[in-house]
Amino acid sequence: MRNKIAVIAQHADNRIDPVTYEAVSCALELCAGETSCIQIIVPGDRVEKVAQEISGETGIDTIALENELLKIYNAEAYTSALVTFFRQRAPGYILIPHTSVGYDFAPLLAIKLEASCITAVKQVNGSDGTTAFVHEVFDGRLYAEVVSKTKTTVITIQPGAWEPLGRQPGKSGIVETRNVTVNPGKTRTIAFRQSDYQGAALANSEVIVSAGRGIGKKENLSLIYEVAKLFPRSALGCSRAVCDAGWLEYSHQVGITGSTVSPKLYFAIGISGAVQHITGIKGAQVIVAVNSDPAARFFTIADYCIVEDLTQFIPTLVEEFKKKYGSFSK
Amino acid sequence: MKILVCVKQVSVPGTYPAADKPPPGFRINSYDEYALEEALLLKERIEKTTVHAVSAGPERVTAVIKRAMEMGADQGMHIRYEQEEQLTPYQVATLIASYARDRQYDIILTGVMADDDMQMQTGQMIAGILGYPYASSVVSHEIREGRTMYVERECDARQRQCLEIEMPCVLTIQSGINRPRYPSLSNILRAKQQKIESINALDLPEARETEVRLFSPGIKPKGTILQGTRREKAVQLLEILHEKALL
Ligand SMILES: Cc1cc2nc3c(=O)[nH]c(=O)nc-3n(C[C@H](O)[C@H](O)[C@H](O)COP(=O)(O)OP(=O)(O)OC[C@H]3O[C@@H](n4cnc5c(N)ncnc54)[C@H](O)[C@@H]3O)c2cc1C
Repeated sequence: MRNKIAVIAQHADNRIDPVTYEAVSCALELCAGETSCIQIIVPGDRVEKVAQEISGETGIDTIALENELLKIYNAEAYTSALVTFFRQRAPGYILIPHTSVGYDFAPLLAIKLEASCITAVKQVNGSDGTTAFVHEVFDGRLYAEVVSKTKTTVITIQPGAWEPLGRQPGKSGIVETRNVTVNPGKTRTIAFRQSDYQGAALANSEVIVSAGRGIGKKENLSLIYEVAKLFPRSALGCSRAVCDAGWLEYSHQVGITGSTVSPKLYFAIGISGAVQHITGIKGAQVIVAVNSDPAARFFTIADYCIVEDLTQFIPTLVEEFKKKYGSFSK
Repeated sequence: MKILVCVKQVSVPGTYPAADKPPPGFRINSYDEYALEEALLLKERIEKTTVHAVSAGPERVTAVIKRAMEMGADQGMHIRYEQEEQLTPYQVATLIASYARDRQYDIILTGVMADDDMQMQTGQMIAGILGYPYASSVVSHEIREGRTMYVERECDARQRQCLEIEMPCVLTIQSGINRPRYPSLSNILRAKQQKIESINALDLPEARETEVRLFSPGIKPKGTILQGTRREKAVQLLEILHEKALL
């Protein structure tokens, strides 16, 4: 059977977001490596080049779905284009990267196609002919396994859950460009812009000392500053919860909607390790986590785990540092 | 202006439903508190604005409707259905959309996500069913002349999507957009007197997906768990950092 799975590419300004290739990997898992079941769709305006590039990388058939109104992302326009395209025959699965674009339009697409919708999927389990999709619930402490009951299922793929498909030499897919009618809808995207909070200090830092809601109150930031002072060059990071509470500015936020960082050392203090946070530190070389909860998610990715109350551990750490080195290094 | 805020009751964070145990407690979904606060701020700014809070579920969910009224919602609406199992986002969206359809709300607000199922779907689906435009993950907004709003969505990697959207519309609200207030004494007293409007969920649609299993992924630490007393751990950590030339 052909075209059972559609993957919607994520791209902007002629750049393909690598999460697209992660979604392709998931598609390949779903169809047991049978590339002819997969079709990659690139909605946009003049995106044939993008489609060619994706097809060239993956060897999978790719369609550039074009309309002027798709030049800049807008949920209604995107969905309208895809619904028109799928009207003939909707595929069994529509895979969309779980990004701020993907999770925005996926539920609308599901409504329009009368499809089920399962988001932030990080694993596929199959047994006796049924396919179950796994996503996190309750802060990731539990996983839910979900089975679709409809002919078409819209799925968003958690970034980082699948390895991106690497270049497939020797394979080639067909690239097709199709014009599609688009209903302009009642939203108009004016622009994408960078937020006023920039994270430059974080992006270039070798050591990041990062605070989570576990510090309990703003005053306890002083503990984090003391840790930061142990390192000759360090920057201050934090979880979103710390910014939401007004303890630090958003320029310090690490994670998917904050800064993506790749320091030599990431020192996480009182951070639970939500997927949106740890996706942002994938590039860190050494991760140290301090958390009073032995079941904290951060420990599943930390190189050194310290199960301690931070309000007691940090002063001890600083004391021992001074004993050993005399004073602060800066 | 009429605003509807959708509030969900979720299990208390930190206490998680084991398959065989009923959850020990419930609270209002944290992201919905931001949505409600946004509605209350609009009410303070724009004359003749009313804020309604709605929740669908068994009797127990009236607790979060009450909570919304204590925070300042003018009225509470309960869409009642009796089964204890969780509805899917599509089912909840259908119930709320059919409630809202003929009630002329200008803005419908939800939280960007539910703390429990983390699906980020309900708001977009309400909009889809009603044929309203929407924006998810909203971090700022402003009502412009006529019936349009200027909205900024939070996107990945510190991007913002700036858009114009016609009312009526649905906005799903991201955390940090405001500081949700605590209930005031006067609102607590008012909420105590006020009845919650209740309607039965008649047309519950069939779920399009089913949760077949809930399981613990288990915590498998990847690295070394430092052992010993607090002081011993501190000394070990300093040694490790020194060895790795990080200090
Ligand atoms: C669309 C979207 C995007 C998001 N983007 C981001 C993002 O980019 N970055 C981000 O960080 N979050 C993001 N979030 C939020 C994320 O889901 C979490 O809510 C957030 O990361 C939690 O922050 P936290 O770990 O500090 O707080 P919590 O989850 O509350 O964790 C606090 C931790 O501190 C520990 N603790 C408490 N007391 C102590 C003590 N005395 N000593 C030691 N440990 C203690 C606790 O055990 C717990 O593990 C996003 C959410 C959404 C919906």
